[in-house]
Amino acid sequence: MPTFTHGDVSIEVDEDGFMEDPELWNDEIAKALATTEGVDELTEEHWKLVHYLRDYYLKFGIAPMIRKLCKETGFPLKKVYELFPSGPAKGACKVAGLSKPTGCV
Amino acid sequence: MSRQQLRVKDIGRKTDQLVSIDTSRLPKLPYPYEDWEDPPYPEIPEVKRANKNISLDGILNVPVPEPETEAEKEELVAKFLEGLRKLLTSRNNWTFLKPLMLSLDNCVRCNTCSDACPMFEMSGRVEVYRPLFRSEVLRRIIKKHLTPGGRLTAKFTGADIDLNWDTIARLAQLAYRCTLCRRCAQTCPMGVDNGLIAREIRKLFSQELGIVAPELHVEGTVKQLETGSSTGISPTALMDLFEFMEEDLHDRTGLNIKMPFDKPNADILLIHNAGEFLSWPENIEAFALIFEIAGLNWTLSSEMVGYDSVNYGLFYEDIQLARVTLKHAEVAKKLGVKKVVVAECGHAHKAIMAIGDRVWLDESNIPRESCMVTLEDLIMNEKIMIDPERNNFPVTMHDPCNITRSMGIIEPQRRVIKKICPQFREMTPHGVHNYCCGGGSGFAIMQSNNFPNWRFTVPGRKKFAQILNAFTREELDPSRHKYVCAPCSNCKGQIRDLLNYYDAWDRTHIQYGGLVELIVNAMTDVREGFIEWDEFH
Repeated sequence: MPTFTHGDVSIEVDEDGFMEDPELWNDEIAKALATTEGVDELTEEHWKLVHYLRDYYLKFGIAPMIRKLCKETGFPLKKVYELFPSGPAKGACKVAGLSKPTGCV
Repeated sequence: MSRQQLRVKDIGRKTDQLVSIDTSRLPKLPYPYEDWEDPPYPEIPEVKRANKNISLDGILNVPVPEPETEAEKEELVAKFLEGLRKLLTSRNNWTFLKPLMLSLDNCVRCNTCSDACPMFEMSGRVEVYRPLFRSEVLRRIIKKHLTPGGRLTAKFTGADIDLNWDTIARLAQLAYRCTLCRRCAQTCPMGVDNGLIAREIRKLFSQELGIVAPELHVEGTVKQLETGSSTGISPTALMDLFEFMEEDLHDRTGLNIKMPFDKPNADILLIHNAGEFLSWPENIEAFALIFEIAGLNWTLSSEMVGYDSVNYGLFYEDIQLARVTLKHAEVAKKLGVKKVVVAECGHAHKAIMAIGDRVWLDESNIPRESCMVTLEDLIMNEKIMIDPERNNFPVTMHDPCNITRSMGIIEPQRRVIKKICPQFREMTPHGVHNYCCGGGSGFAIMQSNNFPNWRFTVPGRKKFAQILNAFTREELDPSRHKYVCAPCSNCKGQIRDLLNYYDAWDRTHIQYGGLVELIVNAMTDVREGFIEWDEFH
C-alpha cells in the first residue's frame, strides 16, 4: 500500500491517492493532500468546499451528489473546477479525506 | 516483438511485456479530429506496479500478483488447472457449462470474429486482442493438460502451449481486455461466444484464485451486500438524496412530485442503478415525473440492495451474481409488486431479466420488464403528451450492448425517440450490430493507473468515432446543441469520460444523457428547458 509523505504528514493512501483511513483526516493532512492536486494554498473558498464535503461524508458515509454540492455551497460547477482542477470527485473529495467514489458514478 | 510474429504459444514466453500499444499508430478519428494526437499512456509508478504482473501489455486494471518464488508460481498454476477442471464439470458450473462447451468445441478458426471486435480493430490489430487468441489459449491448455495423453500428442494436435505462471497471469489480464460486448458472438457463423469464454475465465480467476478487479468485487458486489449499494449509499443516505431530488425537480419544473417508497402491492417496482442518484439525478427525477403524470401505481424500494439494480457479478463470477439477484427477488416479493421495471441500466436488464430467471423461481418469479417497453406504452398510447418541437435538435442514440444485442430490445426505444425527436438519426451500425461504448463489463468504473487511457483510446475510440459520424460538420459546430442518448448508466459514464478525454465539449458541444430526460424535455405538462445545456455536461 503506498504511503504519502509531505512535510510532517505521512499517511497511507490507495492507488489513486485517496486516504485509506478517512478517520485520520485533519487540516494538516488536507493541506498536504492539496499539493497533490495542484493546490498550493487552501483559501477560504477551498475550506468551505472541503468542510461541506467532510460534514456530509461524516453524516452519510458518501460524497454528496455534485448538484447538491453546488446548490448548498453556492459554487457553480465551473467554480469547483477552478478551486480543484481535477474536479469535485477526484480533487475536492480527496483533499477532504473521503474515500474514492465507487459504483457506476 | 513485431505483431505479425506473435503466436498463441508466445503467451508463455519469458519476456517483461508481450505487446505494447503505440498511441501514435492508432486508427485516425473523423472530423474534427483528423489531427488529434493521443498522449502516451501514463507511466505506472514503481510503487504501484510492485509485485504485480502486467506482462501482457503493460496496462493495469485487474491486479494479478507476481509471486517471488517459483514454488509459489507453481502453486498458482496448479490452482488454476484445478479451477479449470471444475469449470468444465456440470456439478461445479451448472450455470454456464453448456454454452461454454459449445463455444470451446465449435470454433473453426475462420476469424470472422476478429473483424467484428472493436478492441482488435481500434488497437491497430494487436494480435493478443483478437477474440480468438484468448479462447485459443484456453482451448490449448485444456487439450494439453486436461485431456488424457494430451501432453504427449500436444505438438500434433495443435495444443502447443507452455503452461507457466506468465501464461496464466497473461490469460487473466486478457480476460480484462474484452468488454463482453459479444459482437463476436453475433457475427460468428458457428455461434461461438468469445465474450462468454472471457467471462468464464474471469470467473475461474475470481472464484478459485481470488484474482479480480476490485471495482467489481470488494468495491462492487461486496460493498453492495454490506451497505446496500455499490456506491456505498445506505438507506439513510438514500432518503437524503431523494429529499434533494424532490426539491431539485420542483426547482426545475415547478411541479411537486413525491417519490413513492416501499408502497405495498404496487403495480411496478422501479429499480435504478444507484450510480444515477449521485451522478445523474435528473434521470431519476425524469422517471418519477413521467410515472406520476401518467398516473402509474409504482414504487421504489428503500431496502438494502433493493434500491440498486447493479449486479457486477454478471461480469466476473456466479456466487456474487446469485447473492445479489436473490436479494433483488426477495425485495420484489416482499413488496408484493406485480412487476419489476428495470430503469436505464444495461447490465441490470440482463442480470434481473434474463440471468435472474434461473434463480427467481416459483413464487419469486415476478414478471420483469424493460423500462423501454414501459415508456413505449406511455408515449405511443399518448398517456403523456409530447411536443416534439421542444426536442428539435440533432439527436443520436447509443445502443447499450446488454439491452440490445444480449436482450433483443431494439425497437421500443426507437419508436419513442423517433416520436419525440424530429432530428433523430441512427449511428452506423446500430441495434444488434452496435458497437460497445468501450466501458462494458465494468470497464467504465475502472478509473485507476493507465487503464482509463487504454479504455478511451482503444475500445472507446470506436464509439467516439461513431458519435462524431452521426452529426454533419455543420452540426458539430460548438454553437449548436446536439445530444447523444445513452440509456444506460455505465455507458453514460463512459461517454462522459470519452467526451472529456477528447475535449469534445469545447470542440463540439456534444451533450449526453438518457432517454427519459429527452421525454421530459418535450412534455407539454412540464415547463420548457428540462435539459440543461451548459451547467452540467
